[in-house]
Amino acid sequence: MTCEEFGRVLPELEGDHHNIEQEEHLKTCSFCSGLVSDLNAISAQARLLAEDQEPSPRLWNSIAIALRQEGLIRDPQASARLLGLRLGRWRLAWLKPVTIALVVGAALLLELQRIPRETPVAQQAATSVPVIGTADGVSQGSAIDADQVQLLNLVGSRAPAMRAGYESDLRAVNAYIRDAETSVRNNPNDAIAQQYLMNAYEQRAMVYEMAMNRALP
Amino acid sequence: MTDARKSQGDRLSEAEAIERAKQGHEEAFEVLYHLHKRRVYSLCLRMTANTAAAEDLTQEAFLQLFRKIGTFRGESAFSTWLHRMAVNVVLMQLRKKGLPLVSLEETMETEEESPKKEPGAEDVRLAGSLNRLQLEQAIDDLPPGYRMVFLLHDVEGYEHNEIAEMVGCSIGNSKSQLHKARMKLRELLKTSRAEKATQP
Repeated sequence: MTCEEFGRVLPELEGDHHNIEQEEHLKTCSFCSGLVSDLNAISAQARLLAEDQEPSPRLWNSIAIALRQEGLIRDPQASARLLGLRLGRWRLAWLKPVTIALVVGAALLLELQRIPRETPVAQQAATSVPVIGTADGVSQGSAIDADQVQLLNLVGSRAPAMRAGYESDLRAVNAYIRDAETSVRNNPNDAIAQQYLMNAYEQRAMVYEMAMNRALP
Repeated sequence: MTDARKSQGDRLSEAEAIERAKQGHEEAFEVLYHLHKRRVYSLCLRMTANTAAAEDLTQEAFLQLFRKIGTFRGESAFSTWLHRMAVNVVLMQLRKKGLPLVSLEETMETEEESPKKEPGAEDVRLAGSLNRLQLEQAIDDLPPGYRMVFLLHDVEGYEHNEIAEMVGCSIGNSKSQLHKARMKLRELLKTSRAEKATQP
């Protein structure tokens, strides 16, 4: 067998499976044996690349938001059961989530009061919500307030790895709300701007809800 | 094993998570996501060479998975089912962007089919000295068609018949593309090594 003949069959060869004729050629030809050795080394190293990259922590939050919007997550209480909540512990800890819920609810009410009266309530039935921006693209309006810091601290105490993800989401959604509010202020009769604002509030409410679920003991 | 797999996988097995996800439990979706996110994201990242695009595709792959999880009957491994879905999402996206999955131009190149001896050329073997970073860089420099087949076969472990079906080419074409991809990688790696060797 010549090098040319070996080269023609090489694409069909898998791993180290060679016939006698090919084996004989490889024993006597350092060029072809070097080539096969290199190609095998490349394949072997490639196998190690299959699973070595980590997506950003905020990706799960975006997926969870989309799942809620599509109605695929149907029973948040069941999630709590999966977390292994026990009634006794809940009795001791019930004040925490209730307090957070009240704070969040009050904040949302205050914000809703700031919306111009022209805002059609029917627009709340949002059909699509834009994807939250990345933290990199978030501007100064993304600053988180004291209540949000408190919520993040609760998340951090339960799931430290998730805190950064939720903080990133809150900053992104805060910036989104600020932009949407500016648009509504500049164009009070613009239905699309009002829709965006409602969507932004809805998105923040979902982030709050997920964070509170995460913060539960 | 990732921290997520340790902390959540221990609490809820994959089989339990699948059944609960079918009933719409959020925690079950999250467990499945953390179990498989790295492999799906790695695939998307290597296919696109862009982190933002890779995250979008990863999200789309998992959303498709969760939308269809009710149809999963366990005939194949869940990871196989998910991964196939992720590959299809990536391929669909690349088609939408008009990127050729296996280009005619690349297919018609024949000069790399057979190895050429270059008199006087130093024949330094890669085996034993090839590292991950060098290979990643070389893969990024591959033409898209070569890269696709190489990733699916050598990185992801698909067989040529599966690749042919997914990409829409013949088995022979898949084998040919893979061989050319490996040859091109070898060339890129040797060139890179030679350049480094000449640097002061």
